[in-house]
Amino acid sequence: MEASHRSNLPVKKINILAALVERTIFRKRAFRFLLFLLLALWCFAFSFDSLFNGSIEAAITYPFLKYIFHLVCHQLNEKSFLINGNYLMVCARCTGIYLGAFLTSIVALLYTKRTSLTLRWLYISMIPMLVDVASNTFHIYSYSKIFAFFTGLFFGSTVFIYILSTIENNFTDNLYTK
Amino acid sequence: MNKNKFLPPIVCGFGAAVLTIVPGIKSFSCCLIVPLAGILSIYLDHRINKSELPIRIKHAIWFGFMTGIIATLFATSLDVLITYLAHTNDFVQALPQTEAVIRHYKLNQVLDQTMSMLRQMSNDITMYGFSAFYTAGILFSNFIINTIFGILGGILGMIFINKRTSV
Repeated sequence: MEASHRSNLPVKKINILAALVERTIFRKRAFRFLLFLLLALWCFAFSFDSLFNGSIEAAITYPFLKYIFHLVCHQLNEKSFLINGNYLMVCARCTGIYLGAFLTSIVALLYTKRTSLTLRWLYISMIPMLVDVASNTFHIYSYSKIFAFFTGLFFGSTVFIYILSTIENNFTDNLYTK
Repeated sequence: MNKNKFLPPIVCGFGAAVLTIVPGIKSFSCCLIVPLAGILSIYLDHRINKSELPIRIKHAIWFGFMTGIIATLFATSLDVLITYLAHTNDFVQALPQTEAVIRHYKLNQVLDQTMSMLRQMSNDITMYGFSAFYTAGILFSNFIINTIFGILGGILGMIFINKRTSV
């Protein structure tokens, strides 16, 4: 009786550990899904008027969305994408940054492994964007929406990985293991 | 209570608020002003108060949030003050363009309702230099945007400091 009880102990421990791991993965997925939803909402908001051009909702929300995104972007028409006859609420670079973060959040939903990057990658992702901004400012070459978009996309996706890994490695560890 | 604890968010939040109303800076730095203020805030706190390392994420989020709140208060106050003195602002100047875009939708009933509200705000600003609805609107939107971007800045600042000091 006692011997069988002893042999059950490791199995019990393994079961508890497996349940903990399962719960941790579930919470991690839930947290990443929340981030994905928030980013999806943000991207949906800045493209809302372009996607639903001509609708009542677009007419009502236009002035308010325009003001809200005016806080985070200059919204110059010559630097913004024209979609469906309407300019997006943010410039090409900001579109790239937010879409980069959004696309990476989709990848993060599928790939749940913990990531930890050195600062080097953050600096590397900044370089193309800074070079582009400096080149435009000093008129080395004229502004290109496509180039601004892709430099922003690269930067946005890298920053998202850093922020996600930092939150997961510091803050949500406590949540996962509670 | 350590008074220096609140100094970095106040200084950086005020700096960010001033920069957001300077024409030209906005088109150059886009959405980076408040996150940079958040980064600078946590860096200054680390230098002034010699906060213990590694910096905890709660601390970084708190500093980013505080910077965002301070930036919101100063940015709204400065906006209201400048509007009061000038009796005009970006919103009033952009209203004809906004009206043209909404008119493009050809939705008369909705257009009338939306435009009458916007025109009322514009008229208040032009006549009195102040509109309560406009002020509430900018306070709310500044609060949402600045706190989110401030927190992101705080987290990025924490990454920079922790990774640099751990090398």
